[in-house]
Amino acid sequence: MVQINLPDNSKVKKGKYFKDKTGSKNLRKVNIYRWDPSVGENPRIDTYEVDMDNCPSKVLDILNKIKNEIDPTLAYRRSCAHGVCGSCAMNMGGKNGLACTTPHSEINGDIDIYPLPHLKVKKDLIGDLDGLYKQYQSIEPWLKSNSKSETKEIFQSKEDRAKLDGAYECIMCACCSTSCPSYWWNGDKYLGPAVLLQAYRWIIDSRDEERQSRLKKVADELKLYRCHTILNCTSACPKGLNPAKAIAEIKKMLATANI
Amino acid sequence: MENKTPLSPHIQIYKWHISSLVSISHRITGIINIIAITFICLFASLLVLGENSYEMAYLFLNSMFGKFLILGLTWSFLFQVLSEIRHLIMDLGYGFEIKTTRITGLMVIFGSVVLTIIFYLIGKSFI
Repeated sequence: MVQINLPDNSKVKKGKYFKDKTGSKNLRKVNIYRWDPSVGENPRIDTYEVDMDNCPSKVLDILNKIKNEIDPTLAYRRSCAHGVCGSCAMNMGGKNGLACTTPHSEINGDIDIYPLPHLKVKKDLIGDLDGLYKQYQSIEPWLKSNSKSETKEIFQSKEDRAKLDGAYECIMCACCSTSCPSYWWNGDKYLGPAVLLQAYRWIIDSRDEERQSRLKKVADELKLYRCHTILNCTSACPKGLNPAKAIAEIKKMLATANI
Repeated sequence: MENKTPLSPHIQIYKWHISSLVSISHRITGIINIIAITFICLFASLLVLGENSYEMAYLFLNSMFGKFLILGLTWSFLFQVLSEIRHLIMDLGYGFEIKTTRITGLMVIFGSVVLTIIFYLIGKSFI
């Protein structure tokens, strides 16, 4: 259901202000969403003054700097720091992206950092992605072959392999799904761009033998057709992929196939 | 503890861009158009009901507010038409690149305004 306002326990309050102690002239204000499950208060926005003279170029560097030098209680996910693992997906300057690949110079004014939108917050910038992973599991993201005795390699032509370009690179960071208003309002039923892009990836794989049943499975008013081409997903994808186009291709296949 | 878990902010913080604006306007104009069609039906039945009721409709539609309403509805219909064409093209699988969506989105926004002005001028020269 469409609920524009946040529930009462999610309303964001003003938090602490961490004044700069380094005496630097080149400061930027960083507003970060904080919520501590052990306290039981509403979430708050803490503001940090960060010395930009001694800070590398990405938003993740700012977070590391805050955690190392200003406030060690800040919690966020991060791992590879090279845009490969997808852990540090968050909302920066009103747009989803990976903190490790988003330059802070691209954000004007104060830097606002929130967890991925419309998720249950576990702590600070960490959102609960269980629902998304369950949906991912539901599309059975593995190669399905009916021939049980097959032990040889299944060949794939270069052309067929090329069809997977733009789909296999997805790192499941959830930037796209959590940017999608349709997914916000119907996240329990609508699969969302990330999972549908993966569904598409298995539907078009020439080696997969369950194409028909895969198509039949996603052909659902709520699972698939909640996509209204708002295109928040494509503009959010840190890997430059196009989930909206993949969804359109699935719709097209369903419109032309006899199922 | 579990039900105390807050929901992270969504529409309150997410940045708007051309495509999301066109998409939400498409929905809003859709609702407006349905109401508008009802009013047009009412207007048509007023014509049938005789001279007095026609006079009433005539006065209302020639008032400032009436003219504003007509222009607004013209825009709303034209926006819907252009946006629907954009959707049709997208349903065929074209125009999904970020740059293209921005251009087509702007075409819908400005096109609907320009067409409204053209319609207004054409209508004016008829009357």
